[in-house]
Amino acid sequence: MKKTVLILAVLLCSVAFSASVLAENDRVAATSDKTVRMAGGTPGGSDWGYPSPFTFYPRGPGYARMSLLFDTLTWKDANGVIPALADGWKVSDDGKDWTFYLDRNARWHDGTSFTADDVKFTFEYMKDHKGGFKWFDATSYIDSVDVVDAHTVVIHLSDPVASFLVDIAGNVPMLPEHIWKDVSDPLTFKDDDAVIGTGPMKLVDYDSATGVYQYEANHDYYDGKLLVDKFISREVSDTASALQTGDVDEVSFWGSEITAVQTFESDPDFEIKAGPSFWVLQTIFNCEKYPNNDREFRQAIAYGIDRDKIVSQVLHDGGEPANTGIMHPDSIWYNPDCTAYEYDTDTADEILDSLGFVDTDGNGIRNYPDGAERSGDITFDLYTTGKYNREAELIQADLATIGIKINVKTSDWGTIDGYLRSANFDMVISGHGGIANPQIMRIPDWPASTYQNSEYDSTYAAQEVEMDLDTRKELVNQLQEMVADDLPVYTLYHPYMWCVYDPKVLDTWFYTRDGVSIGIPLELNKLVFLARYGDANENGKINMQDVTKIERMILELDDETDMADANQNGKINMQDVTHVELTILGRAPIRTR
Amino acid sequence: MHQINKLVYYFAILLIILSINFFLPRVMPGDPLSYLSDPGADMPARMTEEKRELLLEYYGLDKPISEQYISYMVGIIHGDLGWSIYYGAPVLEVILGRLKWTLLLVGTSTAIHVPLGILLGATSAWARGKKKDTGLLISILSISSFPSFFLGILLVIFFGIKLDLFPINGAQTAFATYSSPFGKIFDILHHLVLPATTLVISHIGGTYLLMRNSMLGVLGEDYIMTARAKGLSEQYILHRHALMNALLPIVTMTAMTVGFLIMGTIFVETVFAYPGIGNLLYNAVLYRDYPLLQGIFLFMTIAIVGANFIADTIYVRLDPRVKNE
Repeated sequence: MKKTVLILAVLLCSVAFSASVLAENDRVAATSDKTVRMAGGTPGGSDWGYPSPFTFYPRGPGYARMSLLFDTLTWKDANGVIPALADGWKVSDDGKDWTFYLDRNARWHDGTSFTADDVKFTFEYMKDHKGGFKWFDATSYIDSVDVVDAHTVVIHLSDPVASFLVDIAGNVPMLPEHIWKDVSDPLTFKDDDAVIGTGPMKLVDYDSATGVYQYEANHDYYDGKLLVDKFISREVSDTASALQTGDVDEVSFWGSEITAVQTFESDPDFEIKAGPSFWVLQTIFNCEKYPNNDREFRQAIAYGIDRDKIVSQVLHDGGEPANTGIMHPDSIWYNPDCTAYEYDTDTADEILDSLGFVDTDGNGIRNYPDGAERSGDITFDLYTTGKYNREAELIQADLATIGIKINVKTSDWGTIDGYLRSANFDMVISGHGGIANPQIMRIPDWPASTYQNSEYDSTYAAQEVEMDLDTRKELVNQLQEMVADDLPVYTLYHPYMWCVYDPKVLDTWFYTRDGVSIGIPLELNKLVFLARYGDANENGKINMQDVTKIERMILELDDETDMADANQNGKINMQDVTHVELTILGRAPIRTR
Repeated sequence: MHQINKLVYYFAILLIILSINFFLPRVMPGDPLSYLSDPGADMPARMTEEKRELLLEYYGLDKPISEQYISYMVGIIHGDLGWSIYYGAPVLEVILGRLKWTLLLVGTSTAIHVPLGILLGATSAWARGKKKDTGLLISILSISSFPSFFLGILLVIFFGIKLDLFPINGAQTAFATYSSPFGKIFDILHHLVLPATTLVISHIGGTYLLMRNSMLGVLGEDYIMTARAKGLSEQYILHRHALMNALLPIVTMTAMTVGFLIMGTIFVETVFAYPGIGNLLYNAVLYRDYPLLQGIFLFMTIAIVGANFIADTIYVRLDPRVKNE
């Protein structure tokens, strides 16, 4: 008997050992190209769908994986909007007609030229297949598209759209007409042709079950040079240990994971970049249901919640108390003057007393006033997903101090969404991203669906069509003040984000100004893999070194390269130096012919 | 007549299970479009009522429930499990893509833990009360009582990170090119070692204990005494008389736990980032993906019924009395 066990053990060990040796050899053979591997998520959350514009799961990471293959007319870097498929553009005075001058060198992955017809086709296709592009419905804004010549296109809008350059030009992926014109149901089209775009990457393989995406560089890319040959996004069980064991080269962390980030701070093999999450956790009130339909009651609750304690105890200071007006402090839309409800139980008690909520039966919990819609102790349910259970418990304890009894109910999002949609709830804790873009505040799409304020709605509508940035900012400021004063939601915190990476593999990771595309807070921006024009030394970063390099070329100390031609006019001169300097300052002129 | 009754009985059971599979997901609050506004996503999609209605219509969710039920039943008869709303792919494709990994993992670990558990259980019972028995009992029960995810994490730390012997993420190396077809097989086996070991260790306790108890019961039977009285050798009694009879409850238990084993790998899938059906089911519930939920439930039904069928077959061979009854 002992012998059998022994033989079995030896057999197992030898199989494992030979497997490890062989696998090791194989992997060494596979690393001749420059490959970058990122942690795409943990089990159950690393598959973001087949990366065609119609089949990725409509989430930030899904869009980011699609956007490596498909370009948009404009894009964003660390400073703001930059040209992509459009070299330049202009807008009519009424804000309704946008002319785009397209890049003449752009080609689809199959070699066909990208033209104005593709742009016209894209918007018309999306109109014909309404709802198919689940991510964002752009078609309601677009009236018609005119092709002026092969490389000039005019987009006519029914009403001015203030955020057009970001929300539509920088968001809607361009489709190749010669492929999609024959596709009747885009939601089921998953051929190899479905992922032919103009982007800097081509899809090699995608496996939904293992959550692996494999891309290879499109070395014919029109807008710069690729810094890598292959890119992999894969599933890992634990991001920190996957980075440490070298299974991946880049991972990102969020909020309370600050403790993991700290372990990398002293490690010279890794670098860390911090960025905003553009995400907010909030308590949502039912403004239609007693007692939360009373604005002052909601304010009392706000005074009674200690947000600093939540940030320190739950996030371990991996975040900050939120702007009560929703927009993220790192966004250009942030209003710093929104009412801040400093934690103060005395104020909360005073408000509740004045509203007539008094503890008449002496059990420590206030009672509803006589003749009110409810009677007895003030008590209601607070719904949340398991993820925010600790926040809910802290709020429960805080509100008990001011005499309000909360029952914390944990449920999954599908259930809570059902309650929110039917307005059948008292209070919910939930969060959302996208708070670098005012379109998130639209009611009733926004979680505060029970908030009814005609002034809010008209202000929202006014900012949508306001083409003057300063006036629009003023309107968005007013929206934030209304939210902060009326409290349809009371914001809790904004978590921080970090990406930790091995700089020997790739050191160009950055966070995009106000988020990738319409506001995705990810470091997966296709520009990470690119040396763009103006990046004269081709290291993926545009900085003063490039200025020096271009000056040396002008002085004929160095050989000229394409990459130094920052403004793409075919000459390398002092204009390129100026262009690069303005890029560094975040004010690069849009290239126009 | 008896056969027809049995057939009707099975058909009725199937109809009831299929109907439960259809209605159960639909009585949960929320709907398959809820996930579009899921705050767990860092960037929820913008969802206007108009878009919502278009999508409900596209997926046929705006039709009356009776109509949906009929088209679901008709689909199943034609072998069409429908289209997963979240994954945007045929349900069958989504399930099979993950099921192969689960079967590999569960199959491997079952093929090891069942024989090993039987062997150790029999050894223990045979040596009842001796040091060998006590030693096995204490050691197996103590390592098996670790929760599987905790055990998995321990293995990850020691064999994955400290010793760096085995990969700790995924089922195969991404983007690898292999020098020979064996390279791929070895790569997959290499990735399989730690997850399978975790499952073996966490399940062996049950098999071992059951086998030990069953064997102890058998050893007290009269026929064992008769065999001894006949002067048969101890080895012969162990193999022919005791072992065979003691195996019966093991067969039942293994068949009964198949469903649990397949779905219960979710902890191991999570610890080792191993693809599988456990996380798929979890997501399907979370996203209210009705067609996918129906599909997974159907597969589970088939797996459990299938396992019971196999158990029945083995039973007959082990215990011919069953056949005559």
